[in-house]
Amino acid sequence: MTTTMDRRSLLTRAALGATGLVAAGAMGSLAPETAFAAATQYPEPGQPDPNFAEGLIIGRNQDLLQVQGSDGRLHRIQLTGVTSVWKLRPTTLDQVRVGDGLYARGVLMPDGTLAAESVWVNIVNLTVSITSIGRSTLQLEHHGQKVVGYVQPGLTAAVYNGTPAVSDLSMLKVGRHAQVIGAWRPGTNEIDIATVYASN
Amino acid sequence: MAGLNGEVSWFCCGNAWGPCASTGRGACGTCHSGNFQHAWPNTSDACFAITHPDTCGVTGMSRRTCGFRHSTTNLCNGSRVVTSIADCGPQTDLFCGERACCGGTCASNRIVDLTPAAFSAIASLSAGLIPCTIDVG
Repeated sequence: MTTTMDRRSLLTRAALGATGLVAAGAMGSLAPETAFAAATQYPEPGQPDPNFAEGLIIGRNQDLLQVQGSDGRLHRIQLTGVTSVWKLRPTTLDQVRVGDGLYARGVLMPDGTLAAESVWVNIVNLTVSITSIGRSTLQLEHHGQKVVGYVQPGLTAAVYNGTPAVSDLSMLKVGRHAQVIGAWRPGTNEIDIATVYASN
Repeated sequence: MAGLNGEVSWFCCGNAWGPCASTGRGACGTCHSGNFQHAWPNTSDACFAITHPDTCGVTGMSRRTCGFRHSTTNLCNGSRVVTSIADCGPQTDLFCGERACCGGTCASNRIVDLTPAAFSAIASLSAGLIPCTIDVG
């Protein structure tokens, strides 16, 4: 596992234009599953984390994103050669587009830019009730709002009470609750489903 | 409270985009996705009546109110984050007996939900659900 200083140094160099490929190879992957250093926590519990940002992408200049935070703040997020990207599945930097929503974690640089180690594009994690089941869609309700969930052949998986994920969705039931990890289709009430966790 | 093993997931709250826009600021009125905060299933009688961890056999889940601090340790990689209570949840009884595993390490029943900022400090958001230990923060 890398240390926070290692990550800061690597991301700094990457954000400054040295894409960091040599450094990344020398220090290991910055993929999300390996990037969580057990360092002293900052910020305090209950407070905003300056190394995290969320919002809608309103502009992109090469690998610099302009993001309008949901609280109104503007963020500049630098994608680098070591940034991991998730958009329904692990993917590449070019899939990050204006209009997308995102969560980003990285290192806040002295100029206020967030050098991203991970971005999750359009990701949602919803506790829903299943209102109907079609061949390729699930009709869902989330906090009183209707959400259409699209099943993606070869990708969408179901987890039944902690069992290994399977592609068979036939044991989902109308009227039951579920938790859905998926990717929002911007500007709509629709999502593509990555994983659905079925309730009892 | 001795360490309590269970599952942790994440939830959005506060101002948000997409389907999360309808979620509100949580039972404490302070919840924001970008803050180090969590939802706890036993913040009040009314909360406990919704989440009912007892029906899943989860004991040792003390009554804790808004602002109380817990630490959550990811049992997959040892990463830890300290957060404060901002909402009631998760609804443990919907997923009684559910197990999350990584390698040979497993834990059962949903005992805490973290905000995206907090969850992403210890795991990838795309992991969704991981085994954890909760302690007083």
